[in-house]
Amino acid sequence: MRQHDFAKFTQVGIVGLPPRSVIARLNQAGVAIHDLDARLVEANLEGISPLLPKVYCAILRTVVLNAVNLQLDAIFIDVGPGKCDGALHVATILEDTLPLPVIRVINTDTKDFGHPLCQARQDLTEKFLAITEGVKQAQPPVIQPKPCKPKAGFWGVPPRDFSLLAPFPPATHIYGWSRCLENKTPANQALEAYCNPQVPTVFFAQSFCAKTALAKYLAHRHPLSLYLDVDFNAGGSALAKVQAFLELSGALA
Amino acid sequence: MIVGDFGTSYCKFLNLAEDGGQPTILASKELPGNLHVDLATGHNGRRFADRYVNELIALARGGEAMIAEPDYVLLDCGSRDLKFVAVAGGKLKDMGWNTECGASMGFTIELLGRYYDLDFKRLDAPETTFPVTCGVLGMSHIFDAVIAGMPVSQAVASLVKGIAINAHRFCGSPERLYLSGGLVDNPVFVASLPCEVITLGRFLLLAGLARQAGREAAPCPR
Repeated sequence: MRQHDFAKFTQVGIVGLPPRSVIARLNQAGVAIHDLDARLVEANLEGISPLLPKVYCAILRTVVLNAVNLQLDAIFIDVGPGKCDGALHVATILEDTLPLPVIRVINTDTKDFGHPLCQARQDLTEKFLAITEGVKQAQPPVIQPKPCKPKAGFWGVPPRDFSLLAPFPPATHIYGWSRCLENKTPANQALEAYCNPQVPTVFFAQSFCAKTALAKYLAHRHPLSLYLDVDFNAGGSALAKVQAFLELSGALA
Repeated sequence: MIVGDFGTSYCKFLNLAEDGGQPTILASKELPGNLHVDLATGHNGRRFADRYVNELIALARGGEAMIAEPDYVLLDCGSRDLKFVAVAGGKLKDMGWNTECGASMGFTIELLGRYYDLDFKRLDAPETTFPVTCGVLGMSHIFDAVIAGMPVSQAVASLVKGIAINAHRFCGSPERLYLSGGLVDNPVFVASLPCEVITLGRFLLLAGLARQAGREAAPCPR
């Protein structure tokens, strides 16, 4: 990463989870951070169609949509094992397209900060909102929830469409890359591959994401699992599958 | 209590209060707008009922009610979609619901039967198969085959066989399959499935609703 004067930035975007040292510097400089992986703008996706194929990861399409519509001073994009090859190529596209620095970083942080939200008894959507908000802070929250006994599991990345999370009970544990996010170690492959065979688990795959391979493999090995591949929006069929799986597996009892 | 399975082409009803009552069936396009039932499933179900059960749950509950085995695969082939549940050791093992790609197969078969005035009960399962994953897109195979000289009945039957093979693959290619839904009444479809088939009629989702109603009515365990 080239040296940049963080004090000149007021608004930056991040893609994936940049190293904690970068987030800490941005926090110290009082820079507003926007998580470009999340749904931040309602602009029409057709506007980015010259930049990315239509059949492509919905998260990275969202990244580009956010990046071209927000007024940013810079973008920090994780192009290492903590994100994906897709981000590497999106970095090139953003560099060529936007009149702002697109700063490539590689997050190989190994210090564990824990994942209490992933194990808390709380509405699953609220937990995901808290986890994805947490990527903007170098320090974890002072007050951390206590773990609960899981009745269901959600493995995977934060979905592009959070409506998928509504059917899950509050005692749902979060696994996969989302747990790595809260732990601030996005490249921790062992943590990402962990799941609990005792807990009925939905293995969520964001369509066209490289992690679908791991999702499918882990779901195959897990004794009570649902492999769920969802693209841009969770349709009625995906929601019905989740609802049926949770009810029929006893997770809602 | 009246339960209803509101399918895309046909709606099925059962009054649970009538001992030994038989299901009734109505074309969806003839459904009165003021119809109301207590518990429903199916694409149109939410509009007509106090409570709604999603189709996969209704299918699974129907399987519990009608199949006395710990291990089975149950496939429902309706007008618009395919859905299945696989059960192992009495517990859910796998499930799927194909509503988008591969959909409208049952509807397409009925449409073709009417258009060409075919009686599927008089047709045999053909040797030939069209590779189809979608009913609508599969129709072009028929038109091409007819142009090439294949009899219409054989061409349509080849499409039906292709749909059957695709449905079998969709539910994991089991050696033995329980089948429900409107296509159980199509002998070409049933005979084209490349496995042992046990048909359970087209009212299995009603049986599932009845079972679900019983579960909901049961007192909470203490």
